[in-house]
Amino acid sequence: MKYDNILTTCPFCGCGCKYYIQVVDGVAKSVLPCKEDPISEGHLCIKGWNAIDFVYSKERLTTPLIKENGAFREATWDEAYGLIASKFKEIKARDGAKAFGFFSSAKTTNEENYLMQKLARGVIVTNNVDHCARLCHASTVAGLAASFGSGAMTNSIPEVEDVDCFLITGSNTTEQHPLIGSRIYKAKEKGAKVILVDPRSIQLASIADIHLRQKPGTDVAWLNGLMHVIIKEGIADEEFIEQRTENYGEFKAEVMKYTPERVEEITGIPKADLIAAARMFANAEAASIIYSMGITQHTTGVDNVKSCANLAMLTGNLGKPSTGVNPLRGQNNVQGACDLGALPNVFPGYQAVTVPENREKFEKAWNMAEHIPESIGLTVVEMLNAAHDGALKCLYIMGENPMISDPDITHVREALDALEFLVVQDLFITETAEHADVILPGTSFLEKDGTFTGTDRRVQRIRKAIEPLGNARPDWEILCDVAKHLGSDQFVYASPKEIQDEVASLTPLYGGVTYERLDKEGYLQWPCPNAEHPGTVFLHNGKFSRGLGHFFPVSYKPPAEEPDKDYPLILTTGRILFHFHTGTMTRCSPKLNKEVPTGYVEIHPSDAEAMGIADGDLVQVSTRRGTIQIPAYVTRKVPEKTVFIPFHFKECAANMLTNPALDPIAKIPEFKVCACKVEALGESS
Amino acid sequence: MEQELKAHLKKLMASGDVAGIIALKSERGMAKPYLFADASELECLCLTPKYPMASVARLLLDEDGAARFAIVCRGCDERALRELAKRHQVDLDRLVIVGIPCDEEMARECACPEPFPSVVAVGTKLEQWEAEDIGAAYRAMELDEKLAFWKHQLEKCNKCYGCRNACPMCFCKDCELENALWVKHGRLPPEFPIYHMIRAFHLAGKCIACGECQRACPSDIPLMVLNTLLREDMEELFGYVSGTGADAENPLYTKEEMQ
Ligand code: SF4
Ligand code: SF4
Ligand code: SF4
Repeated sequence: MKYDNILTTCPFCGCGCKYYIQVVDGVAKSVLPCKEDPISEGHLCIKGWNAIDFVYSKERLTTPLIKENGAFREATWDEAYGLIASKFKEIKARDGAKAFGFFSSAKTTNEENYLMQKLARGVIVTNNVDHCARLCHASTVAGLAASFGSGAMTNSIPEVEDVDCFLITGSNTTEQHPLIGSRIYKAKEKGAKVILVDPRSIQLASIADIHLRQKPGTDVAWLNGLMHVIIKEGIADEEFIEQRTENYGEFKAEVMKYTPERVEEITGIPKADLIAAARMFANAEAASIIYSMGITQHTTGVDNVKSCANLAMLTGNLGKPSTGVNPLRGQNNVQGACDLGALPNVFPGYQAVTVPENREKFEKAWNMAEHIPESIGLTVVEMLNAAHDGALKCLYIMGENPMISDPDITHVREALDALEFLVVQDLFITETAEHADVILPGTSFLEKDGTFTGTDRRVQRIRKAIEPLGNARPDWEILCDVAKHLGSDQFVYASPKEIQDEVASLTPLYGGVTYERLDKEGYLQWPCPNAEHPGTVFLHNGKFSRGLGHFFPVSYKPPAEEPDKDYPLILTTGRILFHFHTGTMTRCSPKLNKEVPTGYVEIHPSDAEAMGIADGDLVQVSTRRGTIQIPAYVTRKVPEKTVFIPFHFKECAANMLTNPALDPIAKIPEFKVCACKVEALGESS
Repeated sequence: MEQELKAHLKKLMASGDVAGIIALKSERGMAKPYLFADASELECLCLTPKYPMASVARLLLDEDGAARFAIVCRGCDERALRELAKRHQVDLDRLVIVGIPCDEEMARECACPEPFPSVVAVGTKLEQWEAEDIGAAYRAMELDEKLAFWKHQLEKCNKCYGCRNACPMCFCKDCELENALWVKHGRLPPEFPIYHMIRAFHLAGKCIACGECQRACPSDIPLMVLNTLLREDMEELFGYVSGTGADAENPLYTKEEMQ
């Protein structure tokens, strides 16, 4: 008998817990926490503990499928590749590269994201490559890049334990990033203050010193209000502002318009609480802003992010341990997918496609005859719109499920059906894959090698613990095979290690990242430009990536859709502890599914009473986009006039309802606010 | 001690008496449970940090219905194996226990009741060991303070089930913590105090005070306070100390539990 433990990285959230997979004779038996891993320290959340369930799910796709006469049939790899190659060539010859779109994946490895954008840019020759970061942190990437020059979490997870004052907003940390949430508790036990700004009474509310429950979509207003108080009371960090930042004057003129009275009117946050929070934050030794989708998923997402950046600069909380602006990335490798250029505007390492030298560099490295377009490509939502309009004919989706994850699902379905050719590469026949012409069976984190980059810019290995199931193949191999079938000779790699070596040679951010070092050092945090560089624990030490930090004056704009007499309530959406994103992986895990088998709508008792709704009743929730039926959960977790729906569940999909209105810069949809109505159906579910 | 242990294990392996040795292996600077089948690999053997080795033994004995294994055991590992054997979860006849003692630092960290196995194969066990009384501060509290203490602590729970998953004595296939009859599904934190009470009471007479549950807890909940109180009750009410004395019968053990 062979028994071993393979150290790998969790495929769920961005915390990046490493743990062991107990393997007996080639079969993964269970997860064993690794006590020496610096992130998990031997602790895991329920998803991590159950991370192998979905791998062996009976629903796993283990052979390629081709759709014929409306039904899928099993196919060989050669058939599938042959069909893809001929359709791709036909469409490219007829409609050109602009008719193609590529959805890369925040669930796959860095190497695979690199290959996906290389396939798009280097073989088909389009910048139409994007992934679901568009739907979660596009506003972070854009906003923090503008303010600081680098669009990522400034500090590191272990530092959270030593924060003196937290501002946590739009992050349900104990549910979405449990191993960061646990560190907030640790800091609190050591005396930290906790300011929570969240409409919902989430778990962290029980330890919050101040809980501000803003009206959803009013974040710029209260952030400006906090800064107004800080400036007025003379507790800003003048020295930091003077030495490290620019454009303070213009910014100050704007925030001085946000008196606590005005802020109370817009946000509903009592004036006295706002003032107390401002003092608490500004007077702390090391204060840290932790945010997530509650800040980013708005039509003012970039504005919200820039406001967080302003607050950190105003109080000098940057460039030192346990401070900073800390966007928590939702998926295991959403940071990496961005880093590796699965974005329409940048090559790996955020090298802009609009810069001629960058294009030349990659064209040369990839030995290209054609030229990469100088204009940026389409985003996820724009590609679907283009498909809907008939301009985009062919889409290759790897490990994403827009039929659940994107706003306004009816529109997504119409867009997918309008395509001439759809390739989906996934572990399961997802709601999206059902619309495909060809489905390619990829592999889970247990069946391949590679790297993920966690939310704190931490590059870590995943290691193959078991052989791919059935005929499934590692996603990096599939991408190479597709490229080869399209005639490219630039996709020859013996292993993901060689892909990373190529990445390092072209990407200064990852220049010093090698498998040898990762094996020896356990992880490397970017920027890590060369073999001698130790990696970077916190950013902007002494100097911002862009030189000086830039204060952007930001004015409050209301959300795209506000309650009115037809749709009197605010709908907000989000995730829960027990499930992950579109549920593809977690809903086939018996333990996770048992905890929460279907969706629900949280509704305040007074609203429920007014509408004659009892806990557990089936109700109907409608917006201008659509209607779903869903059980009611009557709870004081939500404030009055606001309802919350987790978006994991296809049978009552929150994204039938959400508003596809976009942030003008980041093109992120406004998942966090729209107007809805709830009606009793007179049935218990 | 490590060198001496390696030599001891090499001999054991050469004797051909065991199919492999369950112990920790150091790989890329980190320890992991491993089944050593080849003497040359023993160079990578290491001793810390502690991992729940009894659970590994149970897994491997289940996977291979016939093989005999050696296992490097600390005091807690041996206590766990004994208690598991009483419940027919491991077959001690198929295990060769190679006992090692804990040093004072480790013993103190665990507040271990007995930081050495019954037979120490390598190393010297601590003389005059007295564990810290983990329950002392709690016992001194007033009733309302006790309630406030648990409310505060258990509110932090992340419902990871890690305390159960890490526990060598939690072997039930269908765990009552997952039964909606007792604990509402899907709530965070889980219902107070039933979730944690069920686990504590189900461990009465089983808990061998290894501390794995508390170490697995992301929220630093002092679960060992609960466990210590129950171990005390077991001793007071039934004169039973779980894990010690291979022959001592467990007073709460019923035939039904064998199913
Ligand atoms: S906290 Fe995140 S990375 Fe850690 S086990 Fe849970 S889902 Fe995985
Ligand atoms: S100390 Fe905790 S993990 Fe160890 S046996 Fe007791 S309950 Fe189980
Ligand atoms: S290990 Fe801690 S957080 Fe996890 S279920 Fe047990 S008590 Fe709760």
